[in-house]
Amino acid sequence: MTDLFIHFFHSPVMMESLLPTLLIAVVTATMSVMVLAHRLSFLTVGVSHSSLAGLGLASLLGLPLLPSATGFAVLIALLLALMPQKKGISEDAGTGILFAGSMALGITLISTSTSQVNLFGLLFGSILTISATEQLWLWLLAAIILTSCLLACRSWWSIAFDATTAAANGLPVHGLRLLLYGIIGLTAILCVKLAGIILTAGLMILPASCAWLWGRSLSGLWLLSLLFSLLGSGIGLLTSYAMDWPAGPAIVLALCVLFIASWGISWLKNRVR
Amino acid sequence: MNQPLLAIHDISFSNGKQTILEHISLTLEAGHFLGIVGPNGAGKSTLINLIAGLQQPDQGHIDLFGQCLKRFNRRRLLKKVGFLHQLHDQQPRLPMRVCDVVLMGLPGYANPLTSAGKHRQRILQALRHTDMEHAFDADYRNLSGGQRQRVRLARALVHQPKLLLLDEPSAALDSKRQEKLYALLRRLCDEQGTAIIMVDHDIAAISSHVDSVACLNRHIHHHARKGESIPDHIWQSMYGEHIQLMAHDAACIGCAPATGHSHD
Repeated sequence: MTDLFIHFFHSPVMMESLLPTLLIAVVTATMSVMVLAHRLSFLTVGVSHSSLAGLGLASLLGLPLLPSATGFAVLIALLLALMPQKKGISEDAGTGILFAGSMALGITLISTSTSQVNLFGLLFGSILTISATEQLWLWLLAAIILTSCLLACRSWWSIAFDATTAAANGLPVHGLRLLLYGIIGLTAILCVKLAGIILTAGLMILPASCAWLWGRSLSGLWLLSLLFSLLGSGIGLLTSYAMDWPAGPAIVLALCVLFIASWGISWLKNRVR
Repeated sequence: MNQPLLAIHDISFSNGKQTILEHISLTLEAGHFLGIVGPNGAGKSTLINLIAGLQQPDQGHIDLFGQCLKRFNRRRLLKKVGFLHQLHDQQPRLPMRVCDVVLMGLPGYANPLTSAGKHRQRILQALRHTDMEHAFDADYRNLSGGQRQRVRLARALVHQPKLLLLDEPSAALDSKRQEKLYALLRRLCDEQGTAIIMVDHDIAAISSHVDSVACLNRHIHHHARKGESIPDHIWQSMYGEHIQLMAHDAACIGCAPATGHSHD
């Protein structure tokens, strides 16, 4: 076991990816609290998948991948925020339509593109091959997300608790919701490098889900979510190194195990009481 | 007479298909307790929402604290208003302590450094008003419906509003708690000069506490001050021909047998 740690910390590839992984863990832990509070789990699935269309478009036109995908994901998230207001379509149907449509568009564009795209990496993540430019992009996105969160978390929480009273207290509920959806779009893109398009939703839902059973307030929930997220990412990355598994799926699996443990202990505790 | 806290000038509102409110005018001075009664779908909640700036009237305007309520000054004016709406989603999902729920009613809540500990005294005072101070640290999700309603009321009171808008605040409360609530509201009017508008369906329960009662069904059919009665034909035009009036308390507004004179 000690050997594993020593080898892990001496592996340049692992060291290179450790910091971005932990950064992503902090961001997703924070945002997952809001995703759960506003019941936006399906939105995170939709937005992360729709980024494939952005990536496809970028690879076809030779644009930089991450910035194009970011723009596209934010656009889709904002569209989803505005769509339910136009009567006749529910939010989950809207998410489903945009999700399937943009996924289809993405695959078609990538298959016709002449440039080589690592589709498996896009779908399941490739944090171990992160470039310096991508690192810079991750830090920039993380800074934007965490700053917005710090400024708006209380307002978002208040809206999730009781939107009508929040509006009557003078909060710009509509604008704050748009901001939340946009920031969720940014977070999804941040995760795509680590967990890929398909597993991103796991990172954005699981940390707060583990914490939800134990937290009693917003700050308590956030701290627990952070703890679970960092623990899951650490265990996942270590396991991926030891077993030679891809890092993204290993982290999501570790978080799933933590969730089951958290749920089981909470269930036992309630039974004993 | 003091300048009114609230002046509603001839407002009308429709939801696109049908007219909900028509030609409503109303003024309210500090310390006045107004009850609004009317049948289901009469527009009672809509009127409260219009005053709280949640919806905009199609015509007419609302003056709050001497200023016309507009989009740009809405946030500043609403800081002095307490608001309690009817709750449809009964089961709370978010993990919250009671003190955090009340803290949400303070204007500084958006600042992440504001904590319930820093405002402990104010929160306790608001909870004391509704007899919930013992639950300061309790998990809001574990409270009963009536207890949650009292915590929500404490949230509406914590910033000591000058105008309080309450939509069926007694809905989840037993009759003893209802009486306590009405007595508390009366005290706020008399001691702190708070103006209150309360929507309630039970005119008999509120009539001995309020200063006046407005009968609303799309427009204000009648506005009775304390000691006045509401004529039979008003009741019938609001609720239909089949209503039978039973006078059970001579002191209560609207309950005494009609004498036929109209106030407005």
